[in-house]
Amino acid sequence: MDVEDVFSSRARMKILKILAQVGELNGSEIARRLGTNYETTSKHLKALEDESLIIHKVFGRIRLYRLNEHSVKAKAVQNLLEVWERFQ
Amino acid sequence: MSRYQSVFKDEAKLDINYIPHRLPHRDKELRLLMEFFSFMLQFPEKMAQRVLITGDIGTGKTVLAQRFGEEITREANRHNISIRYVHVNCREYRGSLFLILQHIVSDFHPNFPKRGYSAEELLRNLVQMLDEEKVYVILTLDEFDSLIEREGSDAVYKLTRMQEGRQNKPQRLSLICILRSLDSISHLDASTRSTLQSNIINLKKYSREQLTDILNDRVAVAFKPSTVPEDTVDLTAELAYSENGNARFGIELLWRAGKYSDAEDLSSVTPECVRQAFSSIIATVRKSDLASLNFHSKLFLLGMTRLFKESQKANASLAEAEKAYAIVCEEFKIRPNSHTQLWKYLQDLSTIGILKTEVSGTGSRGRSTLIYFQVSTDELGNELKMVLEKEGA
Repeated sequence: MDVEDVFSSRARMKILKILAQVGELNGSEIARRLGTNYETTSKHLKALEDESLIIHKVFGRIRLYRLNEHSVKAKAVQNLLEVWERFQ
Repeated sequence: MSRYQSVFKDEAKLDINYIPHRLPHRDKELRLLMEFFSFMLQFPEKMAQRVLITGDIGTGKTVLAQRFGEEITREANRHNISIRYVHVNCREYRGSLFLILQHIVSDFHPNFPKRGYSAEELLRNLVQMLDEEKVYVILTLDEFDSLIEREGSDAVYKLTRMQEGRQNKPQRLSLICILRSLDSISHLDASTRSTLQSNIINLKKYSREQLTDILNDRVAVAFKPSTVPEDTVDLTAELAYSENGNARFGIELLWRAGKYSDAEDLSSVTPECVRQAFSSIIATVRKSDLASLNFHSKLFLLGMTRLFKESQKANASLAEAEKAYAIVCEEFKIRPNSHTQLWKYLQDLSTIGILKTEVSGTGSRGRSTLIYFQVSTDELGNELKMVLEKEGA
């Protein structure tokens, strides 16, 4: 995915922002905070995961998502979000 | 003494959650706990331990487990083993296994969802987390009886047997269960009961001397030097002993007495401060109790309250009390009663609960009776004076 495709989606940016702020969250809670349904949220989560920006861990029926600490792109996004918040 | 000076050096050392470095008269039990878990320090993956700690209120069960938690964590770090000690009060979580497990899980994953699965699933998830982090947990379930009451055998069975399904995998979860007596586990099924009862540490009630040692230790860290005389500690120990040898009660009493001392701008914590503190916890002498006493009993009592106020001691002998009574009788222009009669008054007052008597050890003149007050003698003295003046009039 090109960078403009990632950043052009409000939902995807919000997911990245939420995970940068709280660290880790399950899919249902992300959907709730996004204000969208679980299905739509899952599509966005999959897209971000395909870009290795986020990863998830499974515990039984629970999927916990977080920013991919091994991804240079994810680090860059996190820095951007931090700077944006600081100088808001 | 200036208004802003306090007798306290560090009030936090009297807090219920403070874990002292030393646990007087519990060294043996602490060593025993370390022994039970020594295998874990060498081969942590091979064995999950289960220990029961029993004892009355205030016998040091919680602080023993917490102190052990600190020691074992320190030892584990030395051996490069990742052990996490978790202490949970089951009553705070309404005896719910689900809430207790959530508390532990939140240590590893703070944003783990709060609903959408069962306690059994959560337990499996927890073990998975421990496997991933390569951590061993020693979980202390304090007030374990509230978990048994609410969840029964099933929950306890799950906790204790959970690791049997994990062949050739590390044993991740050890349990320490704290409860007042073994009666609580009597209605668990035999299999669960036998699993829990493998190692039992029973804490006996503290003696007066042991309570004195414990309180002296706390005084040394919580109060400024020379602000808590021996008499005050002795009286506090006596009162804690009368409350079933409850050390926690004694420590709280010390704290309250310190507060009374500060409130009255005193340079030390007097026995009267302790009595006031005790009165504030326990119901004071009822007016009806005083009204039921005859005139001479009241005079005798008034004499004793004045004696205690003057001497600032924790106790007085019967001989001293008789002299004080004689002075009060003079004041009221009444002939004092005999020693035998006073002895009877003393028994009555002890029965009502206004004071306590104790026979001291043998001296060169034989044994003597010591008198202790458990209520504020100042307040009692004021009340008596009013009542006697009305009656005398």
